[in-house]
Amino acid sequence: MSNEDATLRVRNVTKWFGDFVAVEDLSFDVRAGRVFGFLGPNGAGKTTTIRMIVGITAPDKGRIELFGEQMSPRLQDRIGYLPEERGLYKKMKIVDQLRYFAALKDVSRTEADKRIDFWLGRMNLSEWKNKKTTDLSKGMQQKIQFISTVLHDPDLLILDEPFSGLDPVNVEFMIDVLSEFRKAEKTVIFSTHLMETAERLCHDILLIDKATKVIGGSLREVKASYGRNLIALRATGGDGVLANAALVKRAVEHADEKEVELADGVDPQLLLQRLVASGAEIAKFETVEPSLNDIFIQQVGKVGS
Amino acid sequence: MRKFRAVVKHEYKKIVYKWTFLLGTLLFPVIGAGFAVVPAIIFSLKGEPTRMVVVDQSHKIAARLLENLTQERLDAAAKKAAERSRTDVAAPQDEKMKNAARQLAAGFVFIDFKSEGKTTEHVRQELNAMASGNEIDAYLLIPENIESPDSKVEFRSRKGGDFVANESVREAVNSAVRSQRLADADISESLVENLSRDVDFDAKSINDKGEEKDSDVLFIASLVIGMMIYITLTIYGQVIMGAVVEEKETRIAEILFSSAQPFALMAGKLVGVGLAGLTQLGIWVASLVAVIGFLSTQADVAEAGISLPHITALMIIYFFVFFIVGYFLYASIFALIGSMVTTVQEGGQFAFPPIMIMLIGFYFSFAVIRDPNSSLSFWVSIAPLFAPLTMPVRILAETPPFWQIGLAIFLNCLAIATLIWLASRVYRVGMLMYGKRATIPEVLKWIRM
Repeated sequence: MSNEDATLRVRNVTKWFGDFVAVEDLSFDVRAGRVFGFLGPNGAGKTTTIRMIVGITAPDKGRIELFGEQMSPRLQDRIGYLPEERGLYKKMKIVDQLRYFAALKDVSRTEADKRIDFWLGRMNLSEWKNKKTTDLSKGMQQKIQFISTVLHDPDLLILDEPFSGLDPVNVEFMIDVLSEFRKAEKTVIFSTHLMETAERLCHDILLIDKATKVIGGSLREVKASYGRNLIALRATGGDGVLANAALVKRAVEHADEKEVELADGVDPQLLLQRLVASGAEIAKFETVEPSLNDIFIQQVGKVGS
Repeated sequence: MRKFRAVVKHEYKKIVYKWTFLLGTLLFPVIGAGFAVVPAIIFSLKGEPTRMVVVDQSHKIAARLLENLTQERLDAAAKKAAERSRTDVAAPQDEKMKNAARQLAAGFVFIDFKSEGKTTEHVRQELNAMASGNEIDAYLLIPENIESPDSKVEFRSRKGGDFVANESVREAVNSAVRSQRLADADISESLVENLSRDVDFDAKSINDKGEEKDSDVLFIASLVIGMMIYITLTIYGQVIMGAVVEEKETRIAEILFSSAQPFALMAGKLVGVGLAGLTQLGIWVASLVAVIGFLSTQADVAEAGISLPHITALMIIYFFVFFIVGYFLYASIFALIGSMVTTVQEGGQFAFPPIMIMLIGFYFSFAVIRDPNSSLSFWVSIAPLFAPLTMPVRILAETPPFWQIGLAIFLNCLAIATLIWLASRVYRVGMLMYGKRATIPEVLKWIRM
């Protein structure tokens, strides 16, 4: 991974809360124009890390560099941050709230009004412009919150669980909107529990657990590093080969096929040759990439045990 | 700086561009006027007159007595009492009530009753029967030997609780008997009256320059000033707390903190809400000055001998300076509380101590009015937290030397700097702590962080 085009550089960052280590010696890069999936179980240190990136708190140790500079309050205007815990002023008109959030990001009033109209139209919420938050459904409020994070046209978008509380239709809708950011080559960091969504949207991922990095890299690399040793097999016979511990770590019986995990360092071709040689009748032999979900469960489970 | 201005604008508009603000601004003077007018209206409603029989067996008292109980005499007495209760602020509460109630009294109607040739016992029986038959409300029985020291005047009334009527009758009888005694001793009643007349006691305070001030009006003006500061500080302190808690409760804080520095956010909030408070107070003070200005042009006010307090532009400036100082003191305390708690209700419980301190300050202003130059007045008018409530009253009562005013401002600004520093540290951490109220040790830890 080249460091030259990194939007964000996190170097050996550590954060304590009293005796509790929330983030320990964490380093990673987020490349410009990529969608970066920040994954991990609850309490892994995701929100703490994000808060340090957006300048709400400072790391106790290590450095955070944004757009090639040391993180400072000035850079906050170039970030759009949608926190996991988020809300709106209850008794204020939508348009007034959005104007306020835009003003806090140093957007001029005329520019803000233009963008508010654009985004409300894009989200099909134009007729709610002069309504109060309490008149809106939860899904609508989520969309308004999203608008408030993009009004200042940020170079880096950080979304913490952006889809929580949205119905499936709106999740699809938001994924479409995010795809536009992806096409516009904006840098997006997003944290989620939904591995399928992460798999659809992310170029790169970072999985952390218990305050430290577990795996990271491009989605393809990560999957490839796990994908070589899983095989979906539909065959009759060849049971003796599958029982050979030198070749196969384990074979799990599914409805009409087996999931075979190869022993370390075994080439799938070798297994195929042995099976053919043993006279097995092979209907399907496919090396499969593990889903991100599998990797997540496997990695977090491993560290946890 | 631009973000700070954005926060100020946001907080100001949130309060002022609301019909509740307009309503509150207009309603407060109306309620204030109501407190002054409503008792007067109630007291103007008169009850039913007392129907009374007077039996004078001595035949010496009744004529004077009836004269003493005419409506004109009663009204004159009531007026005198009312005057006394206004000037004598230290009078006990029950006396004030009696004096006020006097104005409610409805007077007497006298019923004829023939007592000639009847024994006292017989008269009593007949009168009691009339009373129980609701023909009369009361009767007065003056014995034959009224001059004798152990004679007794009997007054029986169905309205035993009507202390005003009882009092009036007692006074009237006493006065009539006294007059009769004087006449019997051949002493001129008008001479005695002349000799025992009260002197005209004109109480005014003077300041160091020897200028006179009317102490009654001063008292009322100081009270109004003290009230205005106390009420606005309480209201706007809690507005601050509410605004802080809302941003914490709705989790907006995290979005705000990712856009601007906590100090700019909190300072902007304090200034914005403070400007809203100043707007309201400005409207009130301007209308008060206008009312006083209008009254001073009215002839009958001058005639009534009520001198209006002499309010100088400097006093108004001091008033606003101390309001601003007080506002920042208490608002930062309320902001601190707001960032510790999780809900507005919880904040309400914690708002009690600062409100208590304000109330004590407000009560101290009474001591200041009574003796603006005492050492107590000096200390409470420069002490942090109390000065904003007591110093304006002291300035109005008797402007202290400038070094004392300056010292009060200096000490309180020092307190503000400390409190804002503390509050912004607690705010920074507390606003992102969801779900539970912070404990005191936790808060101390945040301050050190």
